[in-house]
Amino acid sequence: MMTGREAMQDHHPGVYDVAVIGGGVVGCAVLRELARYDLRLLLLEREADLAEGVTKGNSGVIHAGFNVPVRSLKARTNVAGLGIIYPLASTLGVPHRKTGKLVVALADEDRPRLEELKAQGDRSGVPGLEIVDEAAIRRLEPLARGRWALWSPHTGIISPYEFTYALAECAAQNGAEVRLETPVAAVSFRGGLFRLATPKGEFEARRVVNCAGLFADEVARLAGIDDYRVFPYRGEYLITDKDCGFRLAMPVYPVPPRDDPGLGIHITPTLEGHVILGPSAEPVGDKRDLASTREVMARLKAEAVRLMPGLAGVGFIHSYTGLRPKLVDPSGRGRFEDFICEESERRPGWISLVGIESPGLTAAPALAEMVVAMIGARMDLELKPDFRPERPVHRRFAAMADDKRAEAVAADADWGETVCRCEHVTRAEVVAALRNPFGARTLDTVKRRTRCGMGRCQGGFCGPRLVEILQDEGVPVDRVTKRGGGSRLFYGRIKG
Amino acid sequence: MKRNVPVETCDVAVIGAGPAGLAAALGARRAGAGKVLLLERDRTLGGILNQCVHDGFGLFLYKETISGPEYAERLAEDVAREPIAVETGAMVLDLTPKRVLRVNSRAGYRLVRAGAVVLAMGCRERTREMIEIPGTRPAGVLTAGSAQNLVNLQNLRVGNEAVILGSGDIGLIMARRLVFEGIAVKGVFEILPWAGGLERNVRQCLTDFGIPLELRSTVVEIRGRDRVESVVVARVDEAMAPVAGTERIVPCDTLLLSVGLIPENELSKRAGVELSPLTGGAVVDERLMTSVPGVFSCGNVLHIHDVADWASFEGSAAGENAARYAAGERAAGASVRVSAGPSVKYALPQRLTSGRDGAELSFRVARPLRDVRMEVRGNTSGKVYARKKYARLLPSELQKIKVKDAVAEDLEVGCHE
Amino acid sequence: MSERPLVDRLTCVLCPVGCELEVRGEAGGEPEVAGNQCDKGVPFAVEEVLRPMRNLATSVPVKGPAGRMVSVRLSGPVPRELLFPILAEIAKLRPEAPVRRGQVLVANVLGTGVDVVATRTIS
Repeated sequence: MMTGREAMQDHHPGVYDVAVIGGGVVGCAVLRELARYDLRLLLLEREADLAEGVTKGNSGVIHAGFNVPVRSLKARTNVAGLGIIYPLASTLGVPHRKTGKLVVALADEDRPRLEELKAQGDRSGVPGLEIVDEAAIRRLEPLARGRWALWSPHTGIISPYEFTYALAECAAQNGAEVRLETPVAAVSFRGGLFRLATPKGEFEARRVVNCAGLFADEVARLAGIDDYRVFPYRGEYLITDKDCGFRLAMPVYPVPPRDDPGLGIHITPTLEGHVILGPSAEPVGDKRDLASTREVMARLKAEAVRLMPGLAGVGFIHSYTGLRPKLVDPSGRGRFEDFICEESERRPGWISLVGIESPGLTAAPALAEMVVAMIGARMDLELKPDFRPERPVHRRFAAMADDKRAEAVAADADWGETVCRCEHVTRAEVVAALRNPFGARTLDTVKRRTRCGMGRCQGGFCGPRLVEILQDEGVPVDRVTKRGGGSRLFYGRIKG
Repeated sequence: MKRNVPVETCDVAVIGAGPAGLAAALGARRAGAGKVLLLERDRTLGGILNQCVHDGFGLFLYKETISGPEYAERLAEDVAREPIAVETGAMVLDLTPKRVLRVNSRAGYRLVRAGAVVLAMGCRERTREMIEIPGTRPAGVLTAGSAQNLVNLQNLRVGNEAVILGSGDIGLIMARRLVFEGIAVKGVFEILPWAGGLERNVRQCLTDFGIPLELRSTVVEIRGRDRVESVVVARVDEAMAPVAGTERIVPCDTLLLSVGLIPENELSKRAGVELSPLTGGAVVDERLMTSVPGVFSCGNVLHIHDVADWASFEGSAAGENAARYAAGERAAGASVRVSAGPSVKYALPQRLTSGRDGAELSFRVARPLRDVRMEVRGNTSGKVYARKKYARLLPSELQKIKVKDAVAEDLEVGCHE
Repeated sequence: MSERPLVDRLTCVLCPVGCELEVRGEAGGEPEVAGNQCDKGVPFAVEEVLRPMRNLATSVPVKGPAGRMVSVRLSGPVPRELLFPILAEIAKLRPEAPVRRGQVLVANVLGTGVDVVATRTIS
């Protein structure tokens, strides 16, 4: 029996074995998992960079899996994903930390809810859960307070977009193709192949994995699969400065409010030492409505201070907003809907992942394994002997010791040119980010890959420098954008 | 500290070569420092002066009014005449309490041990995020200073129709610059009941071109997905909260922010320098020395100046004192505190060495005042050490008041009507 | 107090007192100034109203590598209504490097007796 790849190349040159639609964490995890096999792979992303949709707007928490019902796909892939994600992040060189997490009950009457969560987690196989008292809370996280808490030692933090870039870079290194700014506009079928029409041409694939997040329902509909409806729920966040004097060790959550479609407004550290407050959870009418509101900003602060009084008066350097792709319609608040990961009966070979909200980041590697098993059930998959599980090394100047810095600058003077004064990012890092294998060349591309512009000046100083470097790297002034599309920064030169 | 990392020593290291740092390096030489090292992170000396192409600089230092680049070049020429080691493109990443600097530049990464350090890093602008403007996050929202760089130094058209939030001097000056370059300015909105910038700038940058200045109003929402499409402005009440029902949509593709400057004290914090919540800068004594011995502060990193010349004078003094410290000179005597009293936003220096004759205190008022008497009073004795009458005081203008006698008690600078 | 129509209201910027001046008058007539605490306020206000003088600053690209700019200003103030005509003249400039600080790029621009000078040295 021929492998899928050989079969395709014999008869249909240019045909992909699998096309993944959507370059979020799920799509990129699927792509990397498929890249282990001898397959011709393609990922299509509508935005100007990866991780621009659901993936970029969450808390960056590696969940342990106690928040979701026993035996649900969410619970199974979360717990399985927890076992995969730490070693995977290490292999890929993605910074992460197993911090542990506290779910705190401020009053005695909330303790039964903690017991419920613990029982749910225990039954799902979440390791190490414990109910702890006030003294233990203080010991674990001196900034938190509460009568009781659920202590989850295996919860952690990771940057969702860094993880996503790493997955895709690994896949690319193993031969997968990634195309940005390539939205799928129409799907047709011919000779057992899916034809994906995009503004950048047509692509043919034997299998399609729909990981389109908020738009997974619409993409499925293009293929004649009218089974899903995704509802966007907006979540707003605020981020403090690193220097806010608030050194949080671990995420601190409230007891999940019963009427909240999320997990409640929580407080999460980042690996760099910022503190994130949020998110809210509100259904919105538009899948691109990422606006922050005055009301929610005020509510985030009030809720966070209730949980952690020390946060009162702390200043913020940034806000962001995410959208959850929920399957629960806004009238059915609180109802549980599971992840969907299935192959269409009507369109065999078309696999849809729909409603991948929290804990989708943790579950992504497990969902990717599921997808590969589904593809492997109907096609022989042959492991590539030369698969490289890691990704090209990314060095960060700010994290280097003195001698390594001296060496780096001596070897390449670009390491000696500090572009971002807040986060200490050098020209070498900026240039490397702009030469990513996907051709992403926006300001946000640099910002998310290097942290240039993420600091307290929010790009006030490095922004103009980045514009110069972008031009040095061949991006004309009129093509300089914040995040692709119509997000242009300039209207040409003032004096031609 | 690791081996394989070059280590260099100097008498005085000046961090930042803007109006304060350039003058500090000169001051250090004047006071006899042998090896002076001047480190500038930008590619040219002068710091932000290079993008301030408007005139209004130099009236006090050079007795004529010139532009920012001229002011920078003249100071830089003075520096070039001295045996001062000048390095551009050199970013100081770290400063320890023992005055070891970690310096990164294309020439190499190295450590510098300094006999004394002058902090002259300047300031940064407050951002959209710090003032928490709700709405979308499109392209086209930028600080006035970034726009100044892009327009004046990079020849880039940052937009076609702009709204300016905040009436600080940079915002006012940028309003005129945009109009000069054919970019419409729809209005300047200021949350306070008075303009933040100098009156001359309000007249010559806004009134001259018919640009409306709306006081007691602010931007309450930014709209537009990819690029700014409009902003929503509203009146604010006494508590600076938006008044419901007064919202108005102003179509524009650009929002410029001129909502305040913050002394850039990240290095100072790393060195353990005590900062003042009133100025955002270091707490200093009459020598401009911070709480960390041998570390001095001047210019906008100490407090926000309205006139570059004052930053230079301050730098000059800090440089001289740093040279003396590096040569082993130490101040004798305990120190007394100087605090801000009624209607005063802040007073400098915050500490004086007791027993020394004469001190010049600087202060800035918290709101515009007319026909007031400023007094420097002793906290214990109630004695009035200095008194000065003013027909008018504005928050945008730094004032000075001299204390003649030696002081042995804490002082307060306050307004008494 | 004069009953003649108010022409302008401005703050005197000649000294820190900052008198609030009111200028009244009719077309063709000599304006009347009120609110000044010293004599200097009158000519200041009259000139501001009748013949305001302004300097201007901008920058122009230098021939050669794209993006390099030289900042310029006028050697002295000009009547305000000439700002835009002079800006249009300046916009045509493409000086060649090197440019010296103080170098006259346009002498006697539009016959004003004022020069356009470079304010920065470009090597």
